[in-house]
Formats: sequence, C-alpha cells, structure tokens
Amino acid sequence: MSATKSKRPEVNPAKRGILASIQAFLTSVTFTIMLLSCIAIGSVLGTIVKQGADVEEYLSLYPEGTYRIIRLLGLDDVYHSPWFLALLILFAINLVACTLKRFFSVLKGRGRTELPDERALSAMTMSFRVEGSMSHETITGILPRGYTHVYRGEDGVVCEKGNLSRYGALMIHASIMLILAGGFIGLITGYKGSMVLGQGETKNLITISGGNPKERPLGFALKCKDFRISFYPGGAPKDYVSTIEVIDRGATVLEKQIRVNDPLCYKGINVYQASYQKVPSFSFNIDGENVTLREKDTYNKDGFMMMVVRFETSVHDFGPGVMVAYLDQGEPKTTWFLRNVERLRQKTIRGITLRLDDIKEDLYTGLEISRDPGVWIVWAGFALMLLGLFVNFFMYHRRIYARKTSKGFIVAGVATRNKEAFGEEFERLKEKAYGIPS
Amino acid sequence: MAFHHKILGIVTLLYLILFLIHVIYVAARKERLVALIWIGLYVTLGLHTLGLAMRWAESYRLDIGHVPLSNFYESLIFYAWCVNLIVVLMKKRLAYPAITGLACLIALFLMGYASISPAVDRNIQPLVPALQSNWLHIHVLTCFIAYAAFVVSFVCGVLHFFEWKGVVPPEKAIEEINYKSVVVGFPMLTAGIFTGAVWAHYAWGAYWSWDPKETWSLITWIVYALFLHARIVKGWKGTRMAILSIIGFSSVIFTYFGVNFILSGLHSYAT
Ligand code: HEM
Repeated sequence: MSATKSKRPEVNPAKRGILASIQAFLTSVTFTIMLLSCIAIGSVLGTIVKQGADVEEYLSLYPEGTYRIIRLLGLDDVYHSPWFLALLILFAINLVACTLKRFFSVLKGRGRTELPDERALSAMTMSFRVEGSMSHETITGILPRGYTHVYRGEDGVVCEKGNLSRYGALMIHASIMLILAGGFIGLITGYKGSMVLGQGETKNLITISGGNPKERPLGFALKCKDFRISFYPGGAPKDYVSTIEVIDRGATVLEKQIRVNDPLCYKGINVYQASYQKVPSFSFNIDGENVTLREKDTYNKDGFMMMVVRFETSVHDFGPGVMVAYLDQGEPKTTWFLRNVERLRQKTIRGITLRLDDIKEDLYTGLEISRDPGVWIVWAGFALMLLGLFVNFFMYHRRIYARKTSKGFIVAGVATRNKEAFGEEFERLKEKAYGIPS
Repeated sequence: MAFHHKILGIVTLLYLILFLIHVIYVAARKERLVALIWIGLYVTLGLHTLGLAMRWAESYRLDIGHVPLSNFYESLIFYAWCVNLIVVLMKKRLAYPAITGLACLIALFLMGYASISPAVDRNIQPLVPALQSNWLHIHVLTCFIAYAAFVVSFVCGVLHFFEWKGVVPPEKAIEEINYKSVVVGFPMLTAGIFTGAVWAHYAWGAYWSWDPKETWSLITWIVYALFLHARIVKGWKGTRMAILSIIGFSSVIFTYFGVNFILSGLHSYAT
C-alpha cells in the first residue's frame, strides 16, 4: 500500500499557485525530514551546551563572546527556547496535515470490496482454478485462520486478513499528536514543586523550583507521620519510606507509605519520595536548664547570648562537634564542644556552665510534588504508538477471492506487502484445495 | 572467582572462537563450517544465558537479589547476549557468514570490554532505591534488544561499501536485512523509551526531563524514524540508506557509551 501511495504522480509545482505549492510543501515528507533533522540537531546542542546554569558558571566555562551568542540563541535552555518550540509546532502542523491527507485516501480505499470478474482474477499473479461442483464455503473452509468475509454473494466470496494494518501508519502518526498534546497540556496546566517535612510536621505549601523559588498552596495538607531509611550491609541505601497522611479540610482522608518508585496520588496530585535531609540538633544543659538547639539557632537569657554556628560530624578524629559563638564583653568569640571528649563537653563561660549532652540527627523527608493532567494522554499515545507499530510492521493486509466459473472455481489472492510469506500461505491453500474431493 | 564470572569468561572465549571460525570460513569456504557456526551460536547463547542466570542467583545468595540489568557491567554482558539472540532470531534471513561474523566480533568486543576495562565494576552491587522498579527491567530489556537489532543494521550499512564476491551478501539481500532489522529495532526502541518514561514518572514525577541520555535516545529514535520514512515514503536505496544506518548506530553508541563518559545525568550508572 505504501509503495502505491508514493508512486502517485506528483503535479508539476510550476502549474500550481504559490499557496498550493506552499501547502504541498507543508504536507510533504521532505519537510518532515528537514524538521526532524533540525529537531535532532537542536537536541544535540542542548546536550553539549550546559543547560540552565547561572551566569557565573557560564562565564567560567566559555569566553564572554561565546556566552553572548549562547544567550542570544537561547542555547542555555534549548528545549524551552522559542525556536525549538517553533520547530515542534511546525512538526505538529506537518504531521496533522500529512495525516489528514492520508486518512482520507485510506478511507476511500476502504469501500472497494466487490468481487473482480473472472478475467481480472486470472490475471492476478497468484491464482488457481479448481474444477468440480462445490459451494464457496468449501473454499472459505480451508482458509488459514483469521480471514473474515468482506463480501459474500451468489457469484463468490471476498475474504481478507490483517485489514487493521492499513491503519498502522495512521495510528502511529495520530499517537504522536496525542503525545505532543499531552505534553503541551502538562506544560500549560501542570506544576512541579517540593516539600521538606520533619517527622510529625504538617505543611500545605510547596516550593516551586526555578530561578526564584515561589511558594504555592497545595489545596490540602501533608503530614509526615514517620520517615525511615534502611541500608544494605555494605552501607548503600536500600529503601526510603515516608508514612504520609493527607489532610483535607481538617480530616485525614488518606494514609500511605510512599517510597521511591511508589508515589501517592490524591486529587490528581502525585507525591513522590525524592530525597532526605539530616538536620542535627544539639541538647545543651545551660546552668541546669535543658535546651535543644539547631544550627544557626540562638540562645539568649539574662544577658547571656550564644549561637550554634557550625556542626562537624568529625572534628580531628574526635567525633562529632559543634562550634558555638558568644559575646564576651562585646567581643565575638567561638569555642568547640566535642560530644565524645569529656574534657571538651563541658565549659564554663562568663560564669555559666554549659554542657553538651547529646547530638541527634533528625531525618527530614524530601518530597517531590507534581500535577500533570496530560500524563494520561501521553500514556494513551504510547499505547497507540506501540499498537500502531505492531500492526504496521508485523501484520499485513491480504485478500483472497473465490469466484464461481462455468467449470468450478477460480481462486486468487493479493497482498500489499510481505508477498513472499503470502505466497507460501497461498501455495498451502492451493494444495488443500486440490485435495478436496469434488 | 564467582561461578558466573567463569562461565562468562568461557562465553567470551567462545565468541572469539566463533569469530575465528568465520575467518577460516572466508579463507577455506567449507560449507560445513556454516553448520558449525550456527551450532556454536546456539551453544554460546545457552551458556551466556546460564551465566546471566547464575549471576542472578548469586545476587540472591548475597541477599541483594535483583535481575542482572542494573549496572554498566551487567548491561554490557546483556547487550552481547541480545546481539546473539537477535542473530539467532533472524537466522532465516542471516544466512551470510559476513553478518554473523561481524556480529560475533561486536559481541566479543562487548564481553571483552566488560571483563577487562578498569572503568567497569564487575561486582554485584545492591540496587539503590531509584533502580528498584519493574519498569526499569522492561526498559533495559527493550532498549538492548533494539540496540542489538541496530548492530545488525550497522553491519549491513558497513558491508554496503565492500564488494567481495561470496563473502559480502548481494546488495539486495543486505538492504532487505538492514530494513528488517530496523523494523525489529525501531518498535523495541520506542517501547524502551516509553517504559523509561513511565519509570521516570513513578520515580521522579516527570516522564521527560531532557536529561542527556533521554535526549540522545530521542535523537537515535528520530534518526531511525527518518530511516523508515526515507525508505518507505521516499524510496531511498543503496548508499544513502547505508549512511543512515551508520549514523543511527553512531547515535546508539553515543547514547550508550558517550553519555555515560562525556555527559552526566540521571542515567550515569556511577551515581
Ligand atoms: C517522528 C515521528 C514519526 C514517526 C515515528 C513516524 C512513523 C512512521 C512509520 C513507522 C511509517 C511506516 C508506515 C508503513 O510502513 O507503511 C510511516 C509512514 C509515513 N509517514 Fe510517518 N512518522 C512520523 C512523522 C511523520 C510526519 C511528520 C509525516 C508528515 C509528513 C509523516 C508522513 C508519513 C507518510 C506519508 C508515510 C507513508 C505512509 C504509507 O504510505 O503507508 N510521518 N511513518
């Protein structure tokens, strides 16, 4: 079928109007090849030039003149640049126009199911005659499996198989439109953000990542009831599990353990286990009072002020330690507290006894939150394309005609492609037909 | 040395022997060698399968059980396995020692590279959480069957430029094999990209993020889509198709090796 299509005589472009030739170009496969090549080259550029970094990074990588050109051409964000989008839109137009043009010709070819006359049948490359009196059910009875009738009359029958394969290319092209449409819907109406939750913490705002991070209400709240990491014996991470509660209008509506590769979905919003953070907290005993501080926290009481400035998991091989800054007669000073060294655990500063009781590391779960209403359209596109590819490349359309003649029957067959395989099938049919007692 | 390493070592040796038998065939033209080649291919495929299965079993013994498709070493071994599989599956069409010989050479290269390159970690590693997904397994499976089919297409593309009566298959046969291998490879690559997208969706919440490996697989896909249109719609033949299949395979190689070493991204097995 494809071969016959492309052999259709092309109208001489000089005889058509300009508009008509533009239209012909827009729907041509030559244009498709040009567009796809450009999209491929653009994509290559996007993997060579660093994407979405900040100015300093570019200037450290490229000379200033080169960077100007990169910015001018949008090469620092190829896949969202106007020209790349324009290529995609042109591609979509080309695809739609081409497919529409093709769709009608497929539909037109569909109606022809009449049985050719005896002369036409005997002229076909594959045909044979059987003599004797029998009904055409005898012939259809010996057809290989999968053939269906498209015509049945007094004079004979037309049977076919693999009719779906004629729509293969159509399905493939339509599926690309679905995928593009789904991607576009996701781009317009979807978003992606993140949330960091401590155990027991509840939040209803997510941070939309990007150049300048913004906060955005989620419409409901998420609570982290529990977060756990497990490790393999060798120390590699094995599993991250957050137990997340969805709280909508004050009521808990859903609870799920989410892990990497197993997100939670609520109202079209997906919540993914993405990362984790370890935040250390320090239990101090300050003059008999127990105080828990985190990095950058300050303690201020009765004119004594101190701040936790730095945490190290290992200070000169002495184990975890924390650096504290305080004011001594207006002068800023710092000192280290080491948890595992008794002598350095407790200090007296300006008459106040400070003791580092413990250092704990609290785990925070890092969630990725996204909404993409187009994703199901994309999935449908995937399924349609795979089906289309299968139908197009692994099925083929063939017809078998059987017509009554004065002495018996004439049987003929045609296939659009895979003529070799069909020839074998037809030979077997012939042998079977000759074996029928008349 | 673990048992599976021993088996895979023997398999590597067998690919070398198979390649040498091809060389002898070219010199001596004994038709009986062709039968020996095919028996050799089947035996090697069987042993190769056993090697992969042993590695799989070994990972369970180590209590980090997973399908052996999760690091660079395993993917190389699996790639060679797929090349052999495709050759065996296309046996009816590949009755040309020039093609099977070059396929054996490529399988030998993959196995050899996997077992001696210092850049490849040959140990069984536990699966980090992002890799614990059934989509990943289908993804790797489909991608590598596609890559293996493109090996055949590439070999045809290269053979187009050589004339050697009795060794290089006739032009028409090469073209047909080239086309058929892309007909197998293209849907597989498509399925590979799609399953990868579904995996990314469940793992990171984005089915497409223009990461270098994703982008390069798209480029490869586009090249083979162009190949199909050029042949089916424009009726291209000969040198132009041969060049397209070589460009396509270069793109495969870059997607597979180049991106790992030159560009960085989500897919680099190292992280
Ligand atoms: C990258 C996206 C595309 C893919 C994956 C794709 C895929 C295919 C495939 C697999 C075929 C084979 C059909 C057959 O075996 O008969 C085909 C045929 C065809 N494609 Fe595309 N296509 C794409 C884009 C386009 C575009 C944008 C056009 C618009 C000009 C186009 C025009 C055609 C035509 C005219 C045929 C011949 C159909 C026939 O006669 O059966 N394709 N395409």
